[in-house]
Order: sequence, then structure tokens, then C-alpha cells
Amino acid sequence: MKSATIIGGGSHPELLHLISNRLGITPCDVSLKRFANGETSVEIRESVRDKDVFILQSGSSTVNDSLMELLIIISACKGGSAKRITAVMPYFPYSKQSKMRKYRDAITARMVANLLTVAGVDHIITLDLHASQMQGFFTRPVDNLYAEPNIAEWIRRNVDDWEEAVVVSKNPGGAKRVTSLADTLNLDFALINTDRQRSSHFSQNFEDSIMDETEATETHVTNCSVYLDRPRIHTAKYLLGHIIDDEEIITTPASVCSEDYAQEVNLYSQGGCPSDDDEEENIMSASIYAERMITLVGDVNGKTALLIDDTIENPTAFIVASEHLVKRCGAKRVIVIGTHGIFQNKCLKDLQSCEYIEQIVVTNTYPIKPQAVLECDKLTVIDISGVLAEAIRRTHNGESISFLFKKAF
Amino acid sequence: MKNLVVFGTESHPKLTESICEHLCLDIGRVELSKFSNGETSVRIKQSVRGCDVYIVSPASGQVNDHLMELLIMISACKTASAKKVTAVLPVFPYSRQPDQKFSFSGAPLSDLQDAVVPCKKQTGYHPWIAQSGTLVADLLMCSGADHIITMDLHDPQFQGFFDIPVDNLFGRPLLKHYISLNIPNYHNAVIVSPDAGGAKRATAIADALGLDFALIHKNRRHEYGTSLMLVGDVQNKVAILIDDLIDTAYTLVRAAEFVKEHGASKIYALVTHCVLSGDAIERVKLSCIDKLIVTNTAPQTITPSGCFDIIDVAPTFAEAIRRIHNGESISILYDHNQVWV
Repeated sequence: MKSATIIGGGSHPELLHLISNRLGITPCDVSLKRFANGETSVEIRESVRDKDVFILQSGSSTVNDSLMELLIIISACKGGSAKRITAVMPYFPYSKQSKMRKYRDAITARMVANLLTVAGVDHIITLDLHASQMQGFFTRPVDNLYAEPNIAEWIRRNVDDWEEAVVVSKNPGGAKRVTSLADTLNLDFALINTDRQRSSHFSQNFEDSIMDETEATETHVTNCSVYLDRPRIHTAKYLLGHIIDDEEIITTPASVCSEDYAQEVNLYSQGGCPSDDDEEENIMSASIYAERMITLVGDVNGKTALLIDDTIENPTAFIVASEHLVKRCGAKRVIVIGTHGIFQNKCLKDLQSCEYIEQIVVTNTYPIKPQAVLECDKLTVIDISGVLAEAIRRTHNGESISFLFKKAF
Repeated sequence: MKNLVVFGTESHPKLTESICEHLCLDIGRVELSKFSNGETSVRIKQSVRGCDVYIVSPASGQVNDHLMELLIMISACKTASAKKVTAVLPVFPYSRQPDQKFSFSGAPLSDLQDAVVPCKKQTGYHPWIAQSGTLVADLLMCSGADHIITMDLHDPQFQGFFDIPVDNLFGRPLLKHYISLNIPNYHNAVIVSPDAGGAKRATAIADALGLDFALIHKNRRHEYGTSLMLVGDVQNKVAILIDDLIDTAYTLVRAAEFVKEHGASKIYALVTHCVLSGDAIERVKLSCIDKLIVTNTAPQTITPSGCFDIIDVAPTFAEAIRRIHNGESISILYDHNQVWV
């Protein structure tokens, strides 16, 4: 790859190292500094004239600094007469803000796409966009790669009983992505849905009807074996991030529940599109006393549950789902799998201390602090530098990258 | 209302008429015709100088002709010194971008290919399908549109394709309203999504009504062809299939047959956008669907009967236009408990 060069931003030096090794090239020498006033300074110390430049920059905890750095590097390469500039962004920043969640929200991901185009980027390579339709935000070619083949390969190699496992989607929005993995591995599929609108009063009636249904099911089982394969609905209440047992006495002040619940209903009813769980939790931290219903559609009894989402940011939804899967739905164990391991605040610690989660699997698209990795023995990081390196090689050589959609690297 | 003009293209004159009726307006006068070489001719027959212009044009029938009519009309109004031009697109054109190839009749090609040539070698090439949504968005903006009003975009990200305001109204309150008023014994029904992509939409309605939920998705574990898999339970229950768009009705009919096999006692299908291309109507009539309920975002060739029912969206769009024209907030239209009739 003579006329290609790779430049690493400051967000993910480890991934840069892995990719450069695979490609057999030395990263371009750049100086990334900050002026005393906080501004980013970029100095490219090698010639990029007429070169095919690949700039590696992922999202990070200081996402605005990383984004600004990327834009400045792109602009610098443009000014330095680079032939083509490709931004390699394993985790696309602001990808959760790809639609108007509430009226008058900004579609920030679209703005980021515009910023990249204005800076002078010619091509974007990214991985597991939160919504694949985001490719329409760009007027430049976007290669949205998938971590799914690598994750499927990891499951085959590391989960002993993977052939009987069940793939569980953490929320309805991710059903499409998760069914794709279920098809790849020929596994059953299940779905978790968290209901934010049902009142406590209705919950009680609903629980009663579920009990009746369970009794009916048991009767059927004794008479007809056909029903043994029938998927079931499993519903439970949860409060303060934990499943509530039927007999458990709730000591929460009633007035607090009422007020927060009213606030919650208002938030939801005024909202735009249905929210992803993670986004909702961030905003509704004031409503932690509100009871909610969590429902599993499908059957995981006696099986390993692979709880899957594209990002792992906040622990609560994963912990509640895992607890529900094990305690109420009879799952043998729960393995949490995500592509982007963002792990905000104490997310990793909380997941580590949850007794229902056996393992946490992410790829290395997002920089994870080495200290955090050492402290968490449940965490496994899959290396996807091979996918990105192969995409870079094929993009530079003008080859098709369709192969990457099915094969693990 | 002063300075408010509502035009319609040839795609859905009834909806335009109904919206104007709700707004107590006369329909804007425009002459649409075709030159002998097939080109579209647009002549605005009234002054729009300084006016707030709304052009109603859902995608249906001759999609490309109606799209050109819309673009030329927008450009004509701009040239005629309209203050603001808003495109009202109840059905957004080219909004579906399929993941796999379809044959003309709507049946997924993978079925046919797998069955006919089981030993076909896998070349590994993943076919690229053109993403037309961005192009349509760019065309609308280039022609001069200042604002877009649409309903139930197939993907909410489409709002991000535009640099101008996009109001994506929801058909969900109307569907909810219909379920609670018109489906007997709906408390014991199950909301079913016919594919994995629609799980979010279906669970939102299930949650709002306090109903159970089930999901159908393709199971490709067999070597030849695809089969369906049901996650959830519909045994002896009323099944309500929820989707945003019905075109050839192939997916919906297959889903209904599958749900019937799993013991559903009665099957309703509620769809926001109803296009019914080809022989879709006959397919629906012969299928396991007991009743198909659609909105009139696209012109309907069906008539309300035992098999079909139609929900009117004109009041919703009329209210949106009125509020936008008056500069009021339209947040109330996003209230999922509010229905305009």
C-alpha cells in the first residue's frame, strides 16, 4: 500500500497500533497538542501530497475534543493536497441522536455528518451505526461495517452450549439487529420490553391475569405435549433497578410515586418517537421511584441468554433485564454482548457486581481504560481491528468490501 | 384564514378536498396537464404573492409523475413570490429501502432462488441497493420547499436527510383510537408485529393499550427458503397486526396465515399507509385477515365493508396546517392520547 497512509487521532491509540500492524504500514507522524486556551493544534510532519489518507478517530469520553481534532486533521490533510481522505470512525459520535426523540430536538448526528463533509472528508468507514439509515445523512460514501460476524464467531468459540442458547434483544428497537444475529447462529430469539406507561393499579390486575394464564398453561401441559414448545410471556415489576417479588412490601412514599409517575406520563406523552431505554433513563432519573413493567416475549427457561445491544452505556437496563431473565424466566445464565463498550461512569463496576450477569462482551471500537479492564474479570474485549484493517486495505485498492459483511476477521 | 393557500397534485385530490373542508378554504386553483412529449405542465391560476402555500401530494400510483408535479409546483410558487412553501406528504416517496431483492409480485426473491438453484455458488458479493431517500430530500430542498409535513416515516432518521423543518406526524393515536373503539373484546388482544423492524412501533401501541405483544421474524436456519417464527403467544386470542405500510401485502398476508396457524381466533390488520399495488386487494380478501383497517394517507380503491375500514387523517393534517400557519406549537399533535376527528 505505497500511496496510502494512516493517521491516528488521540482517542484510540491502541486500535491504531493494531490496525497498522495488520496493514504493515507505519502511522503518519502527527503532533496533536492543545494550546493553553484549550484549542486543538494539529501538525502533520510528513508529506500527504497525492496520498490516500485514512484518519482513525473513534468516539471517546471527551467526544467534543475528539470530534474537533478529527475535523482539524481532515482540514489539514485537505490543505496538504491529499488525494483522498477517509475518516475511519469505529464508533460514530452522537449516533444516538439520529432522530428527533422529542419535538424541537436537534438531530445532532446529521450535523456531525455535515461538519465532516464541510471539513473535506471524501469517505467514511464506521461500524454498527445505531441506525443504518444514518448513511442517508451523508453526501459522501459511507461503509457501515458489522461486528456481527466477529461476535458470532466469539459465541461459537467461547459459549459451550451456544447451540441451545437464546438471543435476547434488550429493547424492541434493537429487534432487527438481534434477529440478524439469531439467524446467523440458527438460534431462538426473545425480546424484552419495558413498559413505561402502565399504572400500578393495572399492573396488579395484569399480574392476576398472568397467574390465571400460567395455571391454564400447566393444565394444558399435562394433557397435550404440543404446548411444551409454546413460547410464553413473562412479566414482572421492577423498582429502583431491581425486580420486585410479589410478596415484597414497597415502602416508597405514595406521594412521591404519584408525582413522579405523573411527570413520567407527561414526558412520554409529549415525546416524539419511542425512546430507546438508555436515553429515557438519563432523563428520567428523577422518576426512579416509578414502578415499571418489564416483559420477556419468548422462552429462555433452562438456557443461556445472550443479552444483546449495540452499545453498553448505562448498567440499569442490563441489570434489570438480567435479573428478570434469571429470577423470573429461568435462564441458566446471562451473557451481555454489545458492540460499543462505552461504560459511562460506574457502569462497568455495576455490571461486574451484578450476580445475574456472568460475562460482558464488547469489541474494541471504543477506548476502554486499561485499569477498568483489570478491575473487571467478567469483561471480554473482542478485537475488531481485523475488520477495519481489511476495510481500509480494500478501500485503498478499490476492491469490494462485501466479504466483510459475512466473514469474521 | 388570510394568506393561506392549499394546493393538491393529481395524486390524492380527495384528501386535499377534505383538508380544505376542515380549514374552511377553497382549494387553490392550479392547472396540471401533460405536454404531448410527456412533460408535466403546471400553471398556478391564482396569485400566491406573499402567501403561505401548502401542497398536498402523497406518494401513490404514478409516483414519479406526482413527484415531478410536486417539485414543479413548488418551484412555480417560489417563482411567483410565495412567502413560504410547505410540502404535505402523507406518504413520503421512496421511503422504503428494502434490504433484499424483491420480485415484481412482492415475493422475496431469495425464496425462488434458493428453491430453483439450491447449489448456486455464493460469490460473497453483497448487492448495493440505491438509497433514494436522500435524493428525494435533496430534490425537494432544491426545488424550494421551506417545510415538510409527513406522517409515520418508515424510518425516523429521514428527518435528518433534510436541512429544513420536517414535522413527522403520528398515525398511532388514530390506530389506538380505532382499536379501543371498534375492536370487540380488545382487552384480550395481542399486538403482533409482522417483522423485526416494526417491533418498536408495535410495542409502543401494546404498551399504550396495556396489551400483550408478539413478534414474527424470518427464520433462515433452513437451507432452502425462509420460514417464519413467532415469538410470543396468540393462542385463542384476537391478533392485531400493526404495520406502517402495506404495498403488495405479501408480508402481511403471510404473517396473518402464520398467526392463524398458531391459534389466533380473529385477525385484524392496522396499517397507516395503504398503497395496495398489483393484486394486493384480492390477496387480502382471500387471506386469513378478518379485517384490514388503513388510513387514507393514500387514495383508497377499497370501500369500508366487512373486510375493510378506513380512518380519516385529514383532520390531523388540517390541524397541523392551521397551527403551522398561525405559528402555534404543534406539540399537542404528538400527544398520543389526542385524536382529531
